Amino acid sequence: MAHDEERVGNTDPGRAAREAAAGRAAIAVRPGEFQHSAPGKREKVFELKGIDVLYSGVAAVKGISMDIRRNDVTALIGPSGCGKSTLLRCLNRMNDLIPSAEVKGELLYHGEDLYGPTVDPVQVRKLIGMVFQKPNPFPKSIYDNVAFGPRILGNKENLDQTVEQALRGAALWDEVKDRLEGNAFGLSGGQQQRLCIARCIAVEPDVILMDEPCSALDPISTGKIEDLMIELKQEFSIVIVTHNMQQAARVSDHTAFLMVELDADEDNRWGRLVEYDETEKIFTNPADKRTEDYVSGKVG
Amino acid sequence: MAPAETRVHYQEDLEQLEASALGGLDLVTGALGRTMEAVEHQDVELAQLVIADDDRIDGRYLEVHQALITLLATQSPVATDLRLISALLHVLKNIERMGDQCVNVCKLLPLSGNEPPADEQMVKRILTMGGQAKTLISQAKRAFEGRDVELAHDLVRQDDVVDNLNRECFRLALEIGDDADKREWAMTMLLAARAIERIGDNAVDIGEQVAFVVTGLFREFEDASRPGEAPSQSPLT
Repeated sequence: MAHDEERVGNTDPGRAAREAAAGRAAIAVRPGEFQHSAPGKREKVFELKGIDVLYSGVAAVKGISMDIRRNDVTALIGPSGCGKSTLLRCLNRMNDLIPSAEVKGELLYHGEDLYGPTVDPVQVRKLIGMVFQKPNPFPKSIYDNVAFGPRILGNKENLDQTVEQALRGAALWDEVKDRLEGNAFGLSGGQQQRLCIARCIAVEPDVILMDEPCSALDPISTGKIEDLMIELKQEFSIVIVTHNMQQAARVSDHTAFLMVELDADEDNRWGRLVEYDETEKIFTNPADKRTEDYVSGKVG
Repeated sequence: MAPAETRVHYQEDLEQLEASALGGLDLVTGALGRTMEAVEHQDVELAQLVIADDDRIDGRYLEVHQALITLLATQSPVATDLRLISALLHVLKNIERMGDQCVNVCKLLPLSGNEPPADEQMVKRILTMGGQAKTLISQAKRAFEGRDVELAHDLVRQDDVVDNLNRECFRLALEIGDDADKREWAMTMLLAARAIERIGDNAVDIGEQVAFVVTGLFREFEDASRPGEAPSQSPLT
C-alpha cells in the first residue's frame, strides 16, 4: 500500500493547510507507518477502555475494554441486541451521525484518541471503512462505484489502475473487467457485496469494518467473501460482526462474545463483553460458561 | 430470566451416543470375564465364543463412530461438545482394541493343548491381572460418566498393579525349568499376559480423554518414551 501521507500529499497538497486553517488536524496516524510483526505481538489498532455507548442517555453497551490487533480478523458475536453493531459503529464514529448517541470512555486508534477534539471524522471514515449487511452500491456504473472515493479525495491520476487494483483486491476483477461501464445493480448480490468491498479498499483504508457482510448471501458468495477476508487481512485489519458462529470460527483470529445484561427490574438492557480471546480458544475451550452455551447454540 | 434451552434433540442425540459408546466398555468387561474363565478352565469352546462375539464390539464401534461423524457434519459441535465427540472417537478405538486383546488371548488357548502343563502360580497371576483389568475398565467408565479427573488419574495407580503382575509372569516364565512343553506353554501365557497388560493401558488412555473433556488440555498420564519422568512399564526391565 502506498504511504498514506505521500498519497494525501501528492493528490491534494492543500488539504493539510486547509485543515490547519480550520483548526483541526487530520488524524495523525497513517497506516504505512506500521511495521508488520509476529501475531502475538502485533501492535494494537484499537484500544477500548471502559467504553459505554448511550442513546438518549440509555446505555446500549457498557464497560467494553478490549484491544484490536493489526492484520487480525476480529469477530464480534453475541445475541441480537447485545450491542455488537453499536460497538462496531463506534470504531469509525458512525454513531456521530445519530444526534442522541454518546460515547464514554477511552477509544484509542493507534494510540490516538479517536474522539479527540482535533480529529476529523471524515478522515476517520476514510481510514476506517465499512461494509454493511445489505450490499449498497451507488446507482452508477461498476467503475464509478469504485472510483467514487478516490475522486472525492482528489485522486484522479491513475484512476483506471486504482479501480483495477481495488476490483482485483476484492476478487471481482475477472468477473466484471469486460463490463466496467455496466450498472452496478446488474451484479448478483455476492458481486455487489464484493463491489462494496472494492469501493471500500479503493481509498486505501487501514481498517475495514464489516457488519454481517454475508447474511444476505448464498453459501458460494459467502465462501468468496470469507476467502477474501483472509486475503485482505494481509494488508488491512478487519473487524466483523456476524450472527454466524461458524463464520466467526472460519475467518477470525480473535473473537469477542457480548451478551445482553438486564438490570434488577429487567427494565433496562445493555451489551456487556463476556469473553475475548483467540478464536480457537473460544470455539474449543471457552473460559466462560455463557460463552460456551452461546457458541454451542444451547441458549436462545 | 433463565434462557430457554435450545437444540434439545441434538443434546439428546449426543447423550445417547455417549451412553452407547461407554456401553461398549460393558461389552468388553463381559468378554474379558469370559476370557478369564476360558483361561482358568482351559475352555477352548468358550474361547471360540468370545472370538465370535467380538463382532458385537466391532459393530458398536462402527455404529457409534458413524453417528458421531454425522453429528460432526450436521451439527457443527464446538467447545465441550466438540471435545466430548473427539474423546468418544478415541474411547471407541480403545474399546475396539480391548475387545481385540480378549480375542488375542482366546486365540492362544488352543495352542497350549487340552491338558497343558500349566504353572499354577502363573495362571493365578494372569487371572488376577484379568480381574484388575476389569476393575480398570469399570473405573474408566465411571470416571468418564462422572467427568471425574481425579478418578481418571487414579487409573495409573491401578494399572501399575497390572504391570507388576505382568513382570511377575515374566519372572515365573524364566524360572519355569527345562521341560520343552512347559516352556512353550509359558511363552504362550506371556503373550496372554501382555494382551491383558495392553487392556490396562487402554483404560488409562480413556482416563486421559476424561481429562481432555474436562480441562481442554490433552497430556499423557504416563510417558513411556521418557522413562526418567515416568517409571518404565516394560516387563523386560
